[in-house]
Amino acid sequence: MTNLPLWFIPLFPLIGCIVLGAIALISSGEKKGPSEGFVGALSVLFPALAFVSVVLLSFNMPEGGIRSTLCNWIDIPMFKVDIGFLFDGLSRIMLLFVTGIGTLIALYSNGYMHGDRGFARFFAYINLFLFSMIVLVLSDSLLLTFLGWEGVGLCSYLLIGFWNHDINNCKAANKAFIVNRVGDIGFLLGMLVLCTLGGSNILNYDALNAFINMIMGAGNVEIVVPILSIAGLCFFIGCTGKSAQIPLLTWLPDAMAGPTPVSALIHAATMVTSGVYLLARLSTMFVQIPLILDIITWVGLLTAFWAAVAGLFQNDIKKVLAYSTISQLGYMFMAAGVAAFDASIFHVFTHAFFKAALFLGAGAVIHSLAGEQDMRKMGGLLKKTPVTACVMIFAFLAIIGFPGFAGFWSKDLILERLYMSGPMGPFFYAAGLLTAVITAVYMGRLIVLTFFGSYRGSKESEEHIHEAPACMLFPMVVLAFGAIFAGYFWADSMGIKFFEESLAPVVGAAQAVLHHSEAHVSAGVFAGLGTLAALLGMGIAWAKYGKARIPAAKGSSAPQGKMATWTFFWDYVHGVVITVVNAIAWVVDNCVDKLVQFAQWLVGGIAEILGDGAASFQVRKVRLQIALSIAGVAALVIVVLLTGGLI
Amino acid sequence: MLLHLLVLAPFVAAILMVATSKEDPKSSSRLAFLFALAFFGMSIANIAAGNQATEAYEWFRIPGAKGPVYYYLYSHGLGAWMVLLSTGLSLVALITARNTTCKNYRNFAIGIFALMGAMNGTFLAADAVLFFFFFEAMVIPAAILIAGFGGKDRAKAAMTFAIYTLVGSAPMMVALWYLISQADSSLLLSLAIALQNMPEGAQTAILVSFLLAFMVKTPIFPFHGWQAISYSEAPAPLSAILTGAMSKAGVFGFIAWILPIFPMNMSIVTVMMWLGLVTAVYGALMALRATDAKKLLAFSSMGHLGLAVAGVFSLSEAMLPAVLVLLVAHGISAGAQFLLMGIAERMTGTRELDKLGGLARVTPVFGSLFGFVAILALAIPGTAGFVGEFTVLLSLWDMGPVPALVAGLCIILSAAYMLRFVQKVIFGEQKCEVAGTRMTALEGSSIGIMGVLLLVFGMHPAFITNALHLFDEQAIETMAKLAGEKPAAGAEGEEVAPSSIPGVEAEVDENVADVAVPMTEEDFRQLDSNLAANGFSEEERANLIAQLKAMNAEDSAETAAEAPAAVEGGNK
Repeated sequence: MTNLPLWFIPLFPLIGCIVLGAIALISSGEKKGPSEGFVGALSVLFPALAFVSVVLLSFNMPEGGIRSTLCNWIDIPMFKVDIGFLFDGLSRIMLLFVTGIGTLIALYSNGYMHGDRGFARFFAYINLFLFSMIVLVLSDSLLLTFLGWEGVGLCSYLLIGFWNHDINNCKAANKAFIVNRVGDIGFLLGMLVLCTLGGSNILNYDALNAFINMIMGAGNVEIVVPILSIAGLCFFIGCTGKSAQIPLLTWLPDAMAGPTPVSALIHAATMVTSGVYLLARLSTMFVQIPLILDIITWVGLLTAFWAAVAGLFQNDIKKVLAYSTISQLGYMFMAAGVAAFDASIFHVFTHAFFKAALFLGAGAVIHSLAGEQDMRKMGGLLKKTPVTACVMIFAFLAIIGFPGFAGFWSKDLILERLYMSGPMGPFFYAAGLLTAVITAVYMGRLIVLTFFGSYRGSKESEEHIHEAPACMLFPMVVLAFGAIFAGYFWADSMGIKFFEESLAPVVGAAQAVLHHSEAHVSAGVFAGLGTLAALLGMGIAWAKYGKARIPAAKGSSAPQGKMATWTFFWDYVHGVVITVVNAIAWVVDNCVDKLVQFAQWLVGGIAEILGDGAASFQVRKVRLQIALSIAGVAALVIVVLLTGGLI
Repeated sequence: MLLHLLVLAPFVAAILMVATSKEDPKSSSRLAFLFALAFFGMSIANIAAGNQATEAYEWFRIPGAKGPVYYYLYSHGLGAWMVLLSTGLSLVALITARNTTCKNYRNFAIGIFALMGAMNGTFLAADAVLFFFFFEAMVIPAAILIAGFGGKDRAKAAMTFAIYTLVGSAPMMVALWYLISQADSSLLLSLAIALQNMPEGAQTAILVSFLLAFMVKTPIFPFHGWQAISYSEAPAPLSAILTGAMSKAGVFGFIAWILPIFPMNMSIVTVMMWLGLVTAVYGALMALRATDAKKLLAFSSMGHLGLAVAGVFSLSEAMLPAVLVLLVAHGISAGAQFLLMGIAERMTGTRELDKLGGLARVTPVFGSLFGFVAILALAIPGTAGFVGEFTVLLSLWDMGPVPALVAGLCIILSAAYMLRFVQKVIFGEQKCEVAGTRMTALEGSSIGIMGVLLLVFGMHPAFITNALHLFDEQAIETMAKLAGEKPAAGAEGEEVAPSSIPGVEAEVDENVADVAVPMTEEDFRQLDSNLAANGFSEEERANLIAQLKAMNAEDSAETAAEAPAAVEGGNK
């Protein structure tokens, strides 16, 4: 099976999407949906097949990666792009966890979506998502990546608005798509800038890297760097949209309107990390433009801090996790900003496990409480749903960076690289550490409010609380194991560097360009400080929420008082932009268009008046009529004669 | 033979339709389907056959003109695809119309066939007068159909539509008559030659009157007054044809008649490109505020065609395939959307966005199809719309970053209004009774096929782009022969031969900027800023400009033709 074609990987979910979509469409007229067992089996089978092919290919991958060009896509003058795939160290890691976690979550969804009328439709979308995501990471050119890039955005739209009878879900879905579209235009323009620089063939990653190395080797840095910077900025705008960074972060909290497995798969583990993937993929370009890298670091820093603070005030269990995702993505961007692309991808990898586990755990909690999402109405669930609680507590320890758990290794690595990144390093490090403390506080709050204390919901609902079914628990347990052990692929202090070595062929050369001086600080100090931050945050959370009386929930789960608007500051900014567009549209509708209509009316009116005037000739005076007729014929004859006769 | 059939047989079909029953839509619709299917098959064969031409038959002579008017049809890639749109959309329109306009289906079919014949004539005519004849003839069946089968305001809509478009092309008629009074014949080549021998003022006047006719037909801001009301009042199957095929006549005119005949100067190109962009933004903003679903689609259509016109006047090398893909994609997706909206209106009895809603729950198959087509209209990568929009964006990028940014803004806005449209029509709470006939399997599958076609063209646009050889050598030879044959007055006959060569080249290239007037100081400034935008350093730009100036001074006429090409090479 060494020569398994690369296009097999995206093919399986695509077939799955078509088959399940057809089933959904055919059965949509019936009262009862198709058999859930059959649909469920198909929905897990296709992602699992994709996962198996990725594993088979991974074992046999040569160091330089596998490349295959499938066929031509667009071929017009000035623009020629092929459909081709590239399977190397970077896409291998991304594909492994995308298909692996995708399969687990498809299994979990079988339990979560049980009894929903749109069962088959849901899995058709999930398979379409996996197809798009695989194309995104497997493609060998920017344009094909863009196909996956907008494809995952589309699936995110479809799945956020999955329960489309509620208009609020539709609005959240629309918001996600439109905000992402803004970013996507950045991506498009970035591609156009690159085309100007080297024609359409440099959209291919290999050609782009070769081109940049050639230019840099020839020493033509001053000419190219400004254009590359513009392109880099455009791509980064695309990343801020997809990965929910400042200023395009507002869609992700709203996206929690979708089913919880979707939040786990798309809005935590895979899609939102594609921005980080793109930065790593374009690392050769980004290391040549330090200015843009600085911007990325700052944006990542601010987003990480801001979202962590916002996470402190949320009452909706999924919104806490959404802000936590934004904050963790901020860490990844910080790492990419200091050219530590391998560390950022490592955090993507570990984060996928523990955040998916957290979301699935939250889903199990919501499932057992019959749809309740407000943490103020939970509490004491540790005894009632012990497995879920254990999974979430392990994942919690991973996200706050408790020693030995996955997040500890990756976050520690990022903080270390931040510290060594140059003169601003210690500041970045301090900010990262502070954010880590806040992370531990808000995550501690979530765990305390949900699992400890006593149950705060109504008495009737308490009796119905039950542990999730096995097909939901199994993926959660697997992911919990990942949350504990995924970090040991790159345990620096233990001398395990497997992850770094497997990424080295892709990003190693780029990272060497911006080589920072090795500051001689022992790794132990970093580890100690990181552990201290986690413990401090946990302590604060326990002290503040452990014994405190939680105010009873009333009405919506949105934060109350000033915090409601304060945490959503970027929503306000977006609101201003939308208002401006609407105002312009109003002016166009009510002023410009009316003006055009007025002009039309004026011309019509003048014609009518002239017509009325001409009608006065239509009188019953035979002699006048005949005279006019003769004059007309004479005029015609003269015209014909002057222009050369009737031939 | 195929070309004659495509143009004349629809009229015959229209006459034969008279024989069927007026009351019973069953028999008349069967005949109509058969005819429409045959025409659709012919148009596919026409694309497959590549470039072809008929014999040039002398038709009649116009007083004052030197040569006769030919009945001469010529099919090139662009026209062939437009013919496919016209026959294909007519076929699907006739299918959906059976349940929408039950009363007097026969007459509706007669009108559609007449319209189809006129549209095919417009897209296939190789003679300017013939083109103009069909161009005007399209309006009449369309207006009658609006007046006979339209909504509440149909009389006003039909009147506005007919008068606006006919008046819009009146100046073109005068200009065309003047032009053929100077030219040897009314074929493209002779017109181009005749125009080159005219004073500049006359050239501009003729150009402006041609542009006006096409701008009204497309429509381009500020000549769009007729569009929203006609599209919304027309029966939905007709709206689909109007937007999917007839509105393309305007853009087709820009590409197939204006660019080859007229030497473009920078100012007109820039003005037209910006008018296109303004139309795109304007259409998107109006669609954002529309409360009538069909008006929303009308404005969306206007926005897309604005983008296409802006693309045409970017005059880049990639322009022609890019615009063609965009036109085909828009024709299919906008047509499908109008047809679906017609079905929605039939089911609910309203097209007010605020009164619709929740159709996805009531009729899930319709809802899925509606959502599917709307997503295809969003130009998601993998659909033909994306290939068209992206390559047009690429052409606009050649003109500078600002036009590309404006086009990017339009793409964002189009997502905003399209999602709002989908949300209002099929999602949310159900607000109205579904009483009318639901979507039938035949309607659903035919619209579904249109959607699948968009995906196919999106993943393999070579189907469309490979068909493009606008003027191959054989056709030009024929034209040159016909132009030479004429018993032209002695002195002028000699002049024709040498000057015809650059004319031919210009048409072959399709890159009309090449025959531009000598570059002015302003052009140099424009060029300089373009180069700066593309990242050329101070020194390089100064060098390049100096070279160009030297060349310009040496031989204004000849070098001016090469300069843009040289610059294009420099851009790469």
